[in-house]
Amino acid sequence: MFNSKHGSSYDGKASDEGATTVIARGVKVEGEFTSQSDVLIEGEVHGTFSTAGMLTVGSEAKIKADVKAGSAMVSGTIEGNVIVTKHLDVKATAKIMGDVTTETVMIESGAILSGRMTVGVKPSGAAATVAAESPRGRINGRERVPVLASES
Amino acid sequence: MNPAFAYIYDDFLSDRRFEREISILETELASRGVEGQVARLAMFRSARETIIDLACAGAKNIVFVGNDKTVEKMMWFLPDVGVTVGYIPLTKPAHIGTLLGIPMGLSAVDVLAARLVETIDVGKLDDRYFLTEVIVPATVASLEVEGQYRVSPAVGGAIAVRNLGSVSGKIPVAADPKDGWLEAIIQTRVNGDRWLGKSPLDETTIRLKRGTIISKEPIDVFMDGHTVNGFSFKLSIVPNKLKVITGKGRETSGRAT
Repeated sequence: MFNSKHGSSYDGKASDEGATTVIARGVKVEGEFTSQSDVLIEGEVHGTFSTAGMLTVGSEAKIKADVKAGSAMVSGTIEGNVIVTKHLDVKATAKIMGDVTTETVMIESGAILSGRMTVGVKPSGAAATVAAESPRGRINGRERVPVLASES
Repeated sequence: MNPAFAYIYDDFLSDRRFEREISILETELASRGVEGQVARLAMFRSARETIIDLACAGAKNIVFVGNDKTVEKMMWFLPDVGVTVGYIPLTKPAHIGTLLGIPMGLSAVDVLAARLVETIDVGKLDDRYFLTEVIVPATVASLEVEGQYRVSPAVGGAIAVRNLGSVSGKIPVAADPKDGWLEAIIQTRVNGDRWLGKSPLDETTIRLKRGTIISKEPIDVFMDGHTVNGFSFKLSIVPNKLKVITGKGRETSGRAT
């Protein structure tokens, strides 16, 4: 009767992989947050944040933490360094104050990024560092030549 | 009489208006070969001792006859007794029946006779087991998760930590009691578009194996019909702890139908 959400019965080695964690508006998370699942943040997070899954940062979210995620879509504010294993999608309302490291990135016009951005990992392991922003985006508060960086 | 089965009738079933229904129920159980010894709950009789006596007498399946409150009276100690639990809901509230896939009334005998047994998790609040959920309404409390981080709702937010699901509303809401996790739901009312004069509710959802509800002020915490008061409450999940006789066709999460 109780069909598992993950297609199999509990085997004593449960993982939260597959279930989405939601931090809604009006909620503050403080401390060392780690997860294996997808995470949606609309509230506040202070401390450190890490998930192996997809991180979605809503437009009203405020994160004061170093962030690690498998992939991410950011519409809100992050104050801290961001490391994304795969793809980072920065929306127009996003504000990231910190260094960003990701394999690929897409930045919408209007997004604000203040910090060093490292995009792409070459086979040798060396990472390409580029200034990545949209035509109307800003890096360190200054208008820059737009680069839509995507390198694998 | 089948010695493997025993029945616990709730106190309220002694009322004459249930005489006919009980009679029909017992006839139906006998016709299916699952009739057994009957014990009745009473005000000054220990439910725990009654159940332990039945188990010692050889009952492998103990079936609660009554409603959700009947089941809730037993749940704090039942997982340690080591019996398979059945449930025949005869009156409302019967949300636990819904979450277990057991219909109300005599139809529940079909589920019992089919004897589909599943082993489910139970939650623990300090040293007491709970089946459904723990609720902290309109709280100033925080939830500390796995000793790593603390989740704090805005003032007046409510915290629910679910195992089987929520039975406190008009419609039961199912969680998955076989996944080895507790599901914490934190409801906050936030500013925004108002509907019927109220701000919309936002729900935070987190899964955890261990946690602590912490409050600077003493708070009431509700679990399976019981209320406990204090500043700090330890939560944990005990996987594969309780055998229950269940029906088919139940959703594992979301609103039950």
